[in-house]
Amino acid sequence: MSNAATFDTRTDGAIPVESSLAYSYHRSGTPRVGPQSRVILRERALLGHLILRGGAIVLDEAVREVLGLGLPGQPQGLVVDASGERSVQWLSPDEWLVIVPGGEEFELETRLRERLADAHYAISDVSGGQTLLELSGEAARELLMKSAIYDVHPSHFPVGKGVTTVFAKATAIIRRPSEERWELVIRRSFADYLYRWLLDAGAEYAIGVEK
Amino acid sequence: MSQSKKQANRLAKGGRIDRSRTLSFTFNGQSYQGHPGDTLASALLANGVDIVNRSFKYSRPRGIVAAGAEEPNAIVQLGSTEAGQVPNVRATQQALFAGLTARSTNGWPNVQRDMMGLVGKVGGKFMPPGFYYKTFMAPASMWMTYEKYIRKSAGLGRSPMEVDPDTYDHLHQHCDVLVVGGGAAGLAAALAAARSGARVIVADEQEDMGGSLLDSRETLDGKPADQWVAQVLEELAGCENVTLLPRTTANGYHDHNFVTLHERRTEHLSETAPLVNGHRPVRSRMHRVRAGQVILATGAHERPLVYAGNDVPGNLLAGAVSTYIRRYGVAPGNKLVLSTSNDYGYRAALDWKEAGREVVAIVDARQAPAGDWVEAARAQGIKVITGSAVIEAKGGSRVSAARVAKIDIDTFKVIGQAETLACDTIASSGGYSPVIHLASHTGARPTWRDDLLGFVPNLVKGVQACGGANGTYDLGEVLAEGVEAGVKAAAATGHAAPAVSLPQAKTLEQGPAAPLFQVPHEKPTLRAPKQFVDLQNDVTAAGIELATREGFESIEHVKRYTAMGFGTDQGKLGNINGMAIAARCLGRSIPEVGTTVFRPNYTPVTFGAIVGRHCRDLFDPERYTALHQWHVEHGAEFEDVGQWKRPWYFPQTINGKKETMHEAVARECLAVREKIGILDASTLGKIDIQGPDAREFLNRIYTNKWMKLDVGRVRYGLMCKDDGMLMDDGTTSCLGENHFLMTTTTGGAAGVLEWLELWHQTEWPELQVYFTSVTDHWATMTITGPEARKLLAEITDIDLDRDTFKFMDWRAGKVAGVPARVFRISFTGELAYEINVQANYAMHVWKTLFEHGDKYGLTPYGTETMHVLRAEKGFIIAGQDSDGSVTPEDLGMQWAVGYDKPFSWVGKRALSRSDTRRTDRKQLVGLKPKDPKVVLEEGAQIVFDPKHAIPMPMAGHVTSSYYSPTLDSGFALGVVKGGHNKLGETVYLPMADGQTHEAEIVSPIFYDPKGERQNV
Repeated sequence: MSNAATFDTRTDGAIPVESSLAYSYHRSGTPRVGPQSRVILRERALLGHLILRGGAIVLDEAVREVLGLGLPGQPQGLVVDASGERSVQWLSPDEWLVIVPGGEEFELETRLRERLADAHYAISDVSGGQTLLELSGEAARELLMKSAIYDVHPSHFPVGKGVTTVFAKATAIIRRPSEERWELVIRRSFADYLYRWLLDAGAEYAIGVEK
Repeated sequence: MSQSKKQANRLAKGGRIDRSRTLSFTFNGQSYQGHPGDTLASALLANGVDIVNRSFKYSRPRGIVAAGAEEPNAIVQLGSTEAGQVPNVRATQQALFAGLTARSTNGWPNVQRDMMGLVGKVGGKFMPPGFYYKTFMAPASMWMTYEKYIRKSAGLGRSPMEVDPDTYDHLHQHCDVLVVGGGAAGLAAALAAARSGARVIVADEQEDMGGSLLDSRETLDGKPADQWVAQVLEELAGCENVTLLPRTTANGYHDHNFVTLHERRTEHLSETAPLVNGHRPVRSRMHRVRAGQVILATGAHERPLVYAGNDVPGNLLAGAVSTYIRRYGVAPGNKLVLSTSNDYGYRAALDWKEAGREVVAIVDARQAPAGDWVEAARAQGIKVITGSAVIEAKGGSRVSAARVAKIDIDTFKVIGQAETLACDTIASSGGYSPVIHLASHTGARPTWRDDLLGFVPNLVKGVQACGGANGTYDLGEVLAEGVEAGVKAAAATGHAAPAVSLPQAKTLEQGPAAPLFQVPHEKPTLRAPKQFVDLQNDVTAAGIELATREGFESIEHVKRYTAMGFGTDQGKLGNINGMAIAARCLGRSIPEVGTTVFRPNYTPVTFGAIVGRHCRDLFDPERYTALHQWHVEHGAEFEDVGQWKRPWYFPQTINGKKETMHEAVARECLAVREKIGILDASTLGKIDIQGPDAREFLNRIYTNKWMKLDVGRVRYGLMCKDDGMLMDDGTTSCLGENHFLMTTTTGGAAGVLEWLELWHQTEWPELQVYFTSVTDHWATMTITGPEARKLLAEITDIDLDRDTFKFMDWRAGKVAGVPARVFRISFTGELAYEINVQANYAMHVWKTLFEHGDKYGLTPYGTETMHVLRAEKGFIIAGQDSDGSVTPEDLGMQWAVGYDKPFSWVGKRALSRSDTRRTDRKQLVGLKPKDPKVVLEEGAQIVFDPKHAIPMPMAGHVTSSYYSPTLDSGFALGVVKGGHNKLGETVYLPMADGQTHEAEIVSPIFYDPKGERQNV
């Protein structure tokens, strides 16, 4: 162990829990998905989010062993496991975002710490601080073009890429796990602003929200 | 509203309009009709509307001059409703739609006969350049009054007074090749680039792409040129790698090939965007384009000749006459005199004749014009008068005759007798000027070419110009140049273009043109009837001559003195003529005089498109805590802290009356001091710090010591910039031997994280430590007050015994069934616990606290109460009591500075400078107003001697000031020169209203100076 304090912040399922968008659903509603919806927005709420810091050489083997997924080999890379439920994304030269099904993150952190022993690294649980949004539909890319300065053309943003960029006037991570699907990872405190932004910018595509 | 008149000037056939449908529209209250395919300008001309505006300065009647973006006169106000008002629209660029409502922007009270008309006719001679400056500026206090009426009568359009029902947005575009202009050159370039597979965007400002090919007499492969246009557009539209943007103006060319395109998406359809599937699409859109390569195919603008009376309605550009006839099926008059310096101008006469109207004469400035165009005109039996020019247009509200005389260009003289030719239309052509506006935006100064009589653009890296924009006018050459530019641009972005076979252009051979700009008159320029250079800004040749006589020699000064090329016009028609006139007056050549700088925007852009979606509720991000909904439901008033919305106070309605802020804050303060309050402190920045060198890093970044902080303990720290001035403060807790949790101020969170990374990455990369923001992960609820322990004990498994869980300790456990870290720290001076849980559980924990807290009088409080309570304790707020010029010692916090730490720390060196050691620095003290009812103004200046003559030497200022319900008195914190040694002394605060407050310098700790209450 690395002399860091680990702390499982989750508790039993009987206790009410609210995703980053709980207030936004209440305030702005959830436009229905209809036949004319050219963009569909779906929150993947309450997942486990960990930030890994450390050198790739230090982390790669441990992550591969514990998670069954290696670190992405390239900057701005995103790797997703076969189930699509677990992913590792490059954020900066010594920083990765790991997203796993909600509740797996503490065990993952514990096992990684065991495996990494005295190496120099850091793991921070940020599950309460961010949420994952999925965008699908034929106009999803144009909706991103309205929102972010980053070039999301397929020639520049292939499947398996993820970037942290300016989104409207906030920050978001944009990821492309598959041909049909885009993902946004957004911070909790900005979630309502970004939700309202997406509904507003998506109105012309009859955006629908799946819950 | 009177009955619509018939379209007297509409030709029976020809043009790209749909005669099978009729559209009604209104101009200045009068109803007219036009057809789909018309612009507002072509429809007005079809209806014989001569006067479309009054001029800006002289209020002279003005008609339509041009057919495109360069139109100086037909600038109208659109809108049938208040909310739909759009100012400064060029009628030549506004597509006609049913129900369009337009007015002249100029000409109060009305365009036909107005107040200023008299001034224009009679007083015109007395309005030289600088007239407004010279006449109305004195006395200065009256300018505001003059200006209101001058503006109203001159008219610059007006903005709507109601909320715009439309929406606007931005689209961030990236491409390999951006082609600006969809005429011959642009389409050829786009074709070549598109076939290479490069990502291509083509932007064109007109309703239809094709540019001059849409009204050309020339053929391509023996077919009308617009057939080739249609064929190319079809191919481009089928390319996945090509984006075609019609009705889109490249209005600004910024650094690094960043170009802003303004796309008008619904302005050709109706006043406000029509509903589509119940949704109103965006009215206009700003494309923010990052282009690998830019191709400027912006074409050329025809230069009018500058002759007397050239602003009387019925004076048009020769090319515009052709465009109206060939593209819109409108002949804007019956009897034409054409004055030209070049062959291409002959086109207007040929088109006019073909339209079945009378060409009185072609007046050619050249002695012996020859060439295909001249022969074609002579073959039509058109009279050609050589070596001559129209020296003056006669007529009031419409041209009635042209005075034609022989001229000598070299000596600038009229030679021989003028002849008067009756006519109703004068077309003029002084040649073409490449449209170099966008290239100028990049800062590149254009180059004069004598052979072209025009400026061609100089280009920065990554941009090419082709076709008219490059001074190339022969259609075959234009197409070839376009293809070459397209191939080059594609190659530069790594795409090889296959060969493009171009159609054969059948063009007419042109002879050389004459360098004619201003036409001489029998009288000297200053005495001749007005010869307009810039019609939009009412700048005359005489005005420019006068400016040069008054000593303005730089063209930039001439521009400013005369207003030439100002505002929305940006010198499209007049600038080159103006420079030529200035050059003549100064006895220099045109390249010696040079050109002024064309600035963005090329044509006006509606504010909506600039703002996009960043308005109203989406103007700026609002950051919410996990408890925001509760705060809203409980009536909180919110305060902006950075982008966060924090509860400011919670006004209650007591006996049907809502509390004032003062009442609510007093109640909240007393609740904390006497019972228990709760604050949402989630917005404080939180940084997770891990690594074997974490402790050492803290030691270097904070001013105080961190080596001996045990696991389970919390310490307050001060952070300085390297100049020794306080930057931020907060508590940091030791979670594990190599693991710390740092808190920052709400507003400082991002800056502090950057600061840590900066020092780590640039100065101490050898330290093994990582920083990760966990601000949003944790929700923080502070319960504070004498009852805090009792309340918490009800819902936690943590041992709260005062001897095991001491002040400045933290413990982990469960609160309301949720894993929590609880920090026993206090910003109120009372017993306090800060409960941290994962944000997704925050609402449950908060509500549980209230379920149990009612019986203890649990009261939610906001930032205002927090401020009062902390100030009573003398706790500072970084950024309020400090301002970037305050050291820890100025704040009396020597106890938090460790000069004897083994390794240096950020700010240490600066704190040993003689200036930071001065004893008369402004130091933080408490201020107790002599009159307890007085609450000093924050920011009020402090003086030692109120009887000192003004200006008084200032000794400091108030940084925080409140009314304390606990002390029942006003109290303040402030900084005073040498204040730490002045306890007990009186200072004075002279206020703007004349009264002077007195205050005693006291300790900044007003309440519980021994700190017993937080230690209970």
